[in-house]
This record gives sequence, C-alpha cells and structure tokens, in this order.
Amino acid sequence: MKKEFTFFAFASRNLKRKPLRTLILIIAISLLVAAMVFSLSFVSRVTSGIKLASERLGADILVVPAGSRGAAEDVLLENKAKSFYMNKDIMERVRAVDGIDKMSYQTYLTTVQGKCCDVPETVVVAFNQDTDFVIKPWLTEKFNRKLQKGEALVGSESAFNIRVGLVEVDSVLFGNVFKMVGVLDKTGTGLDNALFIDDVNLEDIIRKGSTDLRPGQVSIIFIKVKKGMDPYKVAGEIEDAVVEVDTMARKDIGKSILATLRDINRIFIFMMALIALLSGFLTWAVFSAIANERAREVGIMRAVGAKESHIVTIFLTEVLIVGCIGSIIGIIGGTVLSLVLTKSFTIMKNLPLPLGIMPRVLIAAIGFLIGNGVCVAGALAPIQKIKKMEPLMAIKSE
Amino acid sequence: MAQLEIAELTKIYTVGNQSITAVNSVSLNIEKGEFVSIVGHSGSGKTTLLSIIGGIMKPTSGRVVFKGQDISALNDDSLSEYRNEKIGFMFQFASLLPMLTVRENVLLPGLFRQKRSGGDEKKAEEFLNLVDIGEKVDAYPSQLSGGQQRRVAIARALMYGPQVILADEPTGDLDEETEADIMGLFRRLNREEQMTFIFITHNLDLAKMAQRQLRMTHGVLAGI
Repeated sequence: MKKEFTFFAFASRNLKRKPLRTLILIIAISLLVAAMVFSLSFVSRVTSGIKLASERLGADILVVPAGSRGAAEDVLLENKAKSFYMNKDIMERVRAVDGIDKMSYQTYLTTVQGKCCDVPETVVVAFNQDTDFVIKPWLTEKFNRKLQKGEALVGSESAFNIRVGLVEVDSVLFGNVFKMVGVLDKTGTGLDNALFIDDVNLEDIIRKGSTDLRPGQVSIIFIKVKKGMDPYKVAGEIEDAVVEVDTMARKDIGKSILATLRDINRIFIFMMALIALLSGFLTWAVFSAIANERAREVGIMRAVGAKESHIVTIFLTEVLIVGCIGSIIGIIGGTVLSLVLTKSFTIMKNLPLPLGIMPRVLIAAIGFLIGNGVCVAGALAPIQKIKKMEPLMAIKSE
Repeated sequence: MAQLEIAELTKIYTVGNQSITAVNSVSLNIEKGEFVSIVGHSGSGKTTLLSIIGGIMKPTSGRVVFKGQDISALNDDSLSEYRNEKIGFMFQFASLLPMLTVRENVLLPGLFRQKRSGGDEKKAEEFLNLVDIGEKVDAYPSQLSGGQQRRVAIARALMYGPQVILADEPTGDLDEETEADIMGLFRRLNREEQMTFIFITHNLDLAKMAQRQLRMTHGVLAGI
C-alpha cells in the first residue's frame, strides 16, 4: 500500500532515519515534562488540600495554647497524634473580645494501643455537642441524634482501620468501653482519622488516669466572627487580651507547611529550569547537527521550489512530533509518579482529597505546552539558519 | 520579447581575501523553445551561470529576466514559485532525497505547490516509464545505481511541465544507449511542448545536437 506523501509523513520519516537520536530527544523532553507535572501536582495538591481543609473546619479563628500552633496544624492537617491543653476558663476571657459570634471547643487525647486503648494510635476528639459547629456538618444522615455517654463516632478514614461500618463495635478508649455508633462523612482534613466523643466522657477518662489531661482543660477553641468583622483583627485582639494563647486565622492554617512548600517549590522551579535548559540545549545540538547533515537535501528541496516556510514546516513538524510524544510520555509518567509517591509524603497521605480532574488537565496542558515550547525554542536557531541558506550554497555545503 | 533575457550578469566569489569572477558580464537572450548547449572547461562558470538562471543563486550584478520579470528582484516566495513552476533543474550530481521513494522524489516539487492534482501519481509513473525506470517506483535511492538515480532526477525535472529545463551534464552517468534515449526525449519535448532546454555538457557530439551552441571560457560566454 502506498504511503501518503505529506509534510507530516516527510517529517516522521526524517526522524526514523536516526532512531536513537530521536529516542534520546524524546526521553529528555519526557523527563522535563514528568518532573514538571510531578512538581506542579505535588505543590497544587498540598496547597489546595490545606486551603480546603482550613475552609472545612468551619471556623474563622482557632485559639490554641501559646506555642501550640504547629501541634494544632499537625493534628488538623496531618492527624499526627499530639495533645496540648489550656484551661477552659480562658474561653470566658476570649468571649469578652468584641466581634465573636460563636465559640466551641475540642479536647484532643492520643491513644496508645495496648496501653490505654485497643485501637491503633490516633486522636480522640472530645467535643461539646451543644456549642459545636465544626463536627456537625459532617454527621451522616444516618446518624441524626445526639451522641450519648459511652458512644463514639469514627472519622471516615479510621472507619476502615477499626472495621466500623454498618455494625456497631465496642472499643476500649482510656480504660472505658465505647460503642462506635457511626461514621462521619469525609471532611478532607486530618480529622478523618480521628474518633469523636462527647466531652461528658472526659470526667470518666480523667478518673481512670490513663491520659495527662487534667479536669477543665481544652485543646482548641473554634471561633466564628460576626458578619463584617475582620478575623485577623479579632485574632489580634484575642492575643492581646489573653497572653496564654496563640491564634490562627483560617487563612493562616497550614502557613508553616506552606512556607516550607514555597522553599520546596523554589527547588522544583530551579530543577525544572535546569532540565528545561538542558533539554533546550540538547534540542539545539541535535537540530544543529540535523541542519548540517541535511543542508544538501534542503538545498535540493529549495531548488525544486520549496519556500522558506516549507522548510520551517518540515523541521517544525519534526520538532513537534518529538515534543508531543515526549510531552505525552512525560505527562503520563509525572502523573503516575505523583500518584505513587503520594504514599511516601506524610503531608499528602493525610490530605485525603486527591487533585481533581480539572487541575490535572490544567497541569497536563502546561506540561504539554512547556515540553513543546522547549523543543521549539531549542530548534529555532538551527531552523532559521538552514532556511536562510541560498539553495546552491546549501547543496555545496557538504 | 525573449523568454529569457540575461543582461550583464556577473558573479564574483570571495574566498578569503581573493575574489574569483565566475561569470563575467554575460549577456544572452534565449527564445521560447530554443535548444541550447553550453560547453567549457571545469571552472569556466557554466554551472554558476545555470544556477543564476535557475534562481538558486543570486548574481553579484546584472539581471535575469524571465518573460519580462526580473527574477533577481523577486522575494523568496516568488523566486521559489519561479523555480517550482517555470524551471526544471537537473544537477550534475545525485540529487534525490534518500528517505523518499523514487515515486516520491518525482512528486517532490508538487509537495511545495499550493494546488496538487489527483493524477500526479499516475503521471509520475508515466515519466518514470519514459526514462525506463518504471519498475523501481517504490525503491529508495540507495537501491539504485548512479545512472538510475540520474534518470529519476530527469523525470522529476520534467514532471510538472516546466517552461525551461536547465540541465547540468544530464547524461553524465549514463551509458551511450540511455544517453541517446534521454537526448531523444529532450528533443521530442522541446519540439512538441516548446520546452526550452539549456544544458551543459563536456561531450561535443551532444553539444552539436543543440540549435545553439555556446562556449564559456573564464566566465565569458561566446558562440561556437
């Protein structure tokens, strides 16, 4: 069967003449795009995950014991089992600050399997059902009643670990038996890995003496500010009024992680720039060699009527074939890498909401454009040089 | 008006500090349908003159006017169209593209045309049969002898019916019998299609087949 004779066929046959060289170029572009897709996926996922998590907590301000911001973020974003406490009477002093609409609190306890509890290490969140506005939105429709003393709810991720689902299970927490009576909806925060009890249980837990929690202590106070109030201003006033606490406005949650992420991002950008430079240089070197090798052929094509634009079309088609194949391989590789390596990064493992389709499509499009852009940029100078050669000079240049 | 008017054409090459005058104030008129041969020693400027007429090299000074149009004044696109549509160039060396088949090499000028005809493939095969290489349409140049490659180049030059054929030793690699066949074909196209032929040869017998015979010596053209 006769093959169609087009610029595309022409260009692809040219590339097949030196398969190893073409393959090296494709690999270089694939590596560039894979590194870029991975980096962008990582940074986007962590950034959007933290943003989403902070929004889903439903509070404008978090009040924590002084020096416990990092620990609070660890619990809320990464479900690290940490405990930190302040006296509950601080709430009254906080409440006195102008601009506060709602307040609730939570107390965090950490389980130790085999010692106090029969569940794997996790955070147990004791909350007040009367004032709560953080947990309530995630109660499933099936659980439409108040938690009783001795009952616990399970975060969506923990449910699998302790096999709670449709069947009610009894577990020992801090020497007390709790009936796991329901599962929370997925929140997209570290709380998905926690267990939830009403704070009326704390008295019994403290009495058993298997935690360092003392009576009248809480871990975090969640605040909703009145409409029109600036959370930053209210947070500042709380810190001024109550020196024993630190505050975090919603947008500041994950700030330390995001700051670290910015450093990682800089490293990624530097690496990508370096790989892009190397790929561009490789493309330039390969296409300079190709232009020299094919000068005579280009001269012949020009002699039989090829315009400068035809020569550019042929070479650019070659460049774009390499760029497209390299970019597609890179996009697949980078995406697979970002999915596989998710399990290796604690922060990503505990931000359970994966990157959505649209951000992935956007990252793939950026990768595709940059992969092809680097290819074209690298090949531009040799293409310009060869197209400008006088046909006879090109023919004689060998 | 002559089909080709060449006026005071000069080409000077600069090699290092040295200037070499390859074509020296050549003036020449060629009418449509003429059959012209150019003889001369190596380095006498024949190929340079042919290249300038064919628009694949720019002169240092002077003009080449094709049907009233000064080709030295054309921009690159128009000059490319001139080479593609008006001129059929046969080089003295193998000038096929190695990654294209014989058929594709013959169709190559068509790739650079805005309008491509559906019957081109059939026509290419007819021309290849005419130069006696019809059985090799799907072969690659590396599978052909030098003489066979030359015949493919001839078919390519004739394929799109140019008005002027510029041939630089077109039968150089061919045996006597094929040479006679090719020259017969040129004569026939010249007579029947009114195609203008300007060819360079070292073979005086071939040169004598032309209506007009020219000799080039040190860049200067003279009639024989």
